[in-house]
Amino acid sequence: MTITRRDFIRAMALKSAAVAATTMFPGISFAGWKPTDQTTGSIVWSKTPCRFCGTGCGLLVGVSNNRAVAVKGDPNCSVNKGLCCVKGYHSIQILYGSDRFTTAYVRKNGKLTATPIEEALDLVASKMKDSIANTGKDSVAIYGSGQWSIPDGYAASKLFKGCIGTNNVEANARLCMASAVTGFLTTFGMDEPMGCYDDIDNADVFVTWGNNMAEMHPVLFSRMLANRKTKTHVKIIDLTTRYTRSSQAADRSLLFHPQTDLALANAICHEIIKNNWVNTEFIEEHVSFHSGKTNIGYGVEDHFKFKDKAETVDFKAYKLFLDDYTPEKVEKISGVPAGDIKYLASLYGDPSKKVTSFWTMGMNQHTRGTWINNLVYNIHLLTGKISTPGNSPFSLTGQPSACGTVREVGTLTHKLPYGVVMKEAARKKAAKIWGVPESNIDPKPTYHTMEMFRALDRGDINFMWIQVTNPMVTIPKLRRYRDGAKKKGRFIVVSEIYPTPTSDIADVILPSALWVEREGFFGNSERRTQHNEQLVPKPGEAMCNTWQLIQVARRLGFEKQFPWNQETYIEDIWNEYTKFHDTPKHRMAPYAVLKQRSGVQWPFVNGKETSRRYHAKYDPACEGNSFDFYGKPDRRAWIWLRPYEPAAESPDTEYPFWLNTGRVLEHWHTGSMTRRIPVLHKAVPEAYVEIHPEDARSLGVVNGSKVKISSRRGSLVMNAMIDGRGNPPKGMVFVPFFDEKYLINEITLDAFCPISKQPDYKKCAVKLEKV
Amino acid sequence: MRKSGYNFGKLFFLFAGICILVLPIIIFKALSAQPINTVPQVNNKLIPDFDHQAKLLYSTYNNTTPEYMTGTSTSRTLDYYYSLRQYPGSPPVVPHSLVIAKEKEPDCLSCHLQGGFVKNFNRFTPVTPHPQHESCRQCHVKPEEISLFRGIDWISIMPPRLGRSALAGSPPPIAHPLQMRENCVACHVGPGAVTVLRVEHPMRGNCRQCHVPAETQILFTRNSK
Repeated sequence: MTITRRDFIRAMALKSAAVAATTMFPGISFAGWKPTDQTTGSIVWSKTPCRFCGTGCGLLVGVSNNRAVAVKGDPNCSVNKGLCCVKGYHSIQILYGSDRFTTAYVRKNGKLTATPIEEALDLVASKMKDSIANTGKDSVAIYGSGQWSIPDGYAASKLFKGCIGTNNVEANARLCMASAVTGFLTTFGMDEPMGCYDDIDNADVFVTWGNNMAEMHPVLFSRMLANRKTKTHVKIIDLTTRYTRSSQAADRSLLFHPQTDLALANAICHEIIKNNWVNTEFIEEHVSFHSGKTNIGYGVEDHFKFKDKAETVDFKAYKLFLDDYTPEKVEKISGVPAGDIKYLASLYGDPSKKVTSFWTMGMNQHTRGTWINNLVYNIHLLTGKISTPGNSPFSLTGQPSACGTVREVGTLTHKLPYGVVMKEAARKKAAKIWGVPESNIDPKPTYHTMEMFRALDRGDINFMWIQVTNPMVTIPKLRRYRDGAKKKGRFIVVSEIYPTPTSDIADVILPSALWVEREGFFGNSERRTQHNEQLVPKPGEAMCNTWQLIQVARRLGFEKQFPWNQETYIEDIWNEYTKFHDTPKHRMAPYAVLKQRSGVQWPFVNGKETSRRYHAKYDPACEGNSFDFYGKPDRRAWIWLRPYEPAAESPDTEYPFWLNTGRVLEHWHTGSMTRRIPVLHKAVPEAYVEIHPEDARSLGVVNGSKVKISSRRGSLVMNAMIDGRGNPPKGMVFVPFFDEKYLINEITLDAFCPISKQPDYKKCAVKLEKV
Repeated sequence: MRKSGYNFGKLFFLFAGICILVLPIIIFKALSAQPINTVPQVNNKLIPDFDHQAKLLYSTYNNTTPEYMTGTSTSRTLDYYYSLRQYPGSPPVVPHSLVIAKEKEPDCLSCHLQGGFVKNFNRFTPVTPHPQHESCRQCHVKPEEISLFRGIDWISIMPPRLGRSALAGSPPPIAHPLQMRENCVACHVGPGAVTVLRVEHPMRGNCRQCHVPAETQILFTRNSK
């Protein structure tokens, strides 16, 4: 960059003005800001959903001279009512990292070389064609994300499932909420929560299941605290395997051994029945009882297959099943005192108390993830505490559009935007809307995420396009899958904004337009669809992910299916996509409404949002005048008999510690964005391993000591953290996964829930050594 | 003659130009002195200053009345606040007389736990951020004498700058180490607080949701592999 004399003088003038301003307004620093010219008074504020978590806060982004310069909470958005967290307030800085990709790169003679984007897209299309011609359509795959904007996922599904005809479409949301989905489907027959965030203002008791909301869903957590502050009787109960910031805020924090939440949930139900707290009328009218297969495995071997089989049973059989889960027996399994279990059951059981349960990764990243989701629903169903204000079993989502793009558009191998590929009616509907022959859509699902990376390693897949995610940091048992992706004959395309360990192994890097650099939609945890305009220009040759897909689709000869122009393609895609959901159970708001409002909840019926599902008072799709669980053919919610089964790998004499992994407040996932925000990086500059003080003492380790963590899969040396923000119990260590310098997923295990295929990042066995 | 005057004028303008250019740099440098890095480091090793005592913050938040939280008073200034301390972060001295009953420690917490208006001093009491430590005078002493025993070459550090927002209107990071000062509500809320340190949104209870520590000043760079 060259600085002319004129620029220099102008910069100096601005800096002197900043100094003058500082003397005039002591206490406010103006010097720290880099003011662009003449910004004052010319900021234009526009609404957008936040780029980060699944809460879906509304932001107002201030733009001046085509640059985003400031953020406020959107007071019109009912999610956050004007409050954000530290990530949201600084989110616009992710647009301006100095190592942003502004041009495409192609690997030439082993080196990534800057290449015009059109040429890179030609190469992507020709490589795809070659793979399809030589090794079949199922050798190409796309791996996307719950941070995909809705049109991205829709275009990917249409291209791969509709046009190419392969079900090799997956997204990182498989690692994040697949168990929540299968939990919903098995219990209610339809995905996504029945409740809404307004339940937070109405509940008397909050139970958080393995969920550190103070850091992971801070805005909702604050709403919970505000409710407790205004009403003195409100209680927050934290069920956890590690003492966290949320535990510190809770009225009671109950520490249980990893995996034993299964036993705990059953014990609560046992107590509810024993004490006659069952809502008999509700279960007679609206609940049926079912059992499934047990001893279902962990999926650690290639080609693992599992299919559950439901058998209808009755309440008596359920009661008999619960005999194994008396509080006293479960105390032995879980480590939670029987008295505390009884106390928890009494809170759920008290008919005068409205109870909301929250969970995210603690229950979803679990080798029995589907089961534990079922079991927590059981508690709410036994007591009838569901679908009414304050009574809400609420599965929170991790990513901004895991619901919108992955669950609703269906960017998973077995899914279509409406229904599953196995169903002929769903294939017919998709083929008609997409304008492709019905025979194009393969009725057999191919690979879920873990199996997809195994297939890449084996060579069954040789072309993979990765968008908006960083699997070379996040895939468990990472070493195998990274080595697999780097094997000869694999072609990896990565659509990214910054260099990451995933872009390091790419053969082509496509520079992506990000968030408010393009128009799009997100869908948050409470069924709220949120539209954002393009607010600032794209840098260099950066291209919207949807447009990248359209460009490649046209090069593959699918001009007819991808006819849109660059001015209106997002709106056109929305109008086409919403044809899939045109029923009162799932209708989406029209484009014009979404553009206007700070998010709209679906089902959007007769111009009205649906706040709660499955109750006639709130949900127009219900029949009758009370509850109606219309997702299941028997119009009942299903209580499942799911036993406690141990984790895939538990500590033993050789590897005596549990390893738990997760996030911190300041960093989003792998930190590829948040680490480039100065405030956030300065707050948590690197990862560490949290160790219990007594374990540290017996290892001879103090704060900052180097510790070697090893599992059967790999090892890592990092700094110890004792009495930090979180505190694991004796016999457990915790490592955040945001830091690419310490790839903790080289150590984790790729065991998954056989029903949801979601891996368990929270439990494997490791040993520690002082270095 | 004419020519040399022209040259002189040229030189003068050059000099004036340099002055104009350099002066702001000098002023800017002088005024933008960064406070000494208060990141806790021991033996050049970063000791993370995480808020493991958040429980105190949450319970104070929950137990403080809305009336107190939104209370204001203009009597306590930042200059006065620092005048009670040897350096930013050191325990302040006791600025008022102590009522000591025989054989009994003064009960500091009767006022400094909850805060409130004290008639004798005609002002609001500041609240302690660490009420779990009850032996107050272990650290907080009452000066009985103004003159020194011997002189001292003591130089303090600059107090942390206020308002270090990264963007216009964004929440500033925490300016001080958290050890013994994890309880934000104590010092940043209510009528006892120093006026310029008082937050304008006291009813938000999860402070560290937006205000994060600053553990390092070095920006992120990818590891070279």
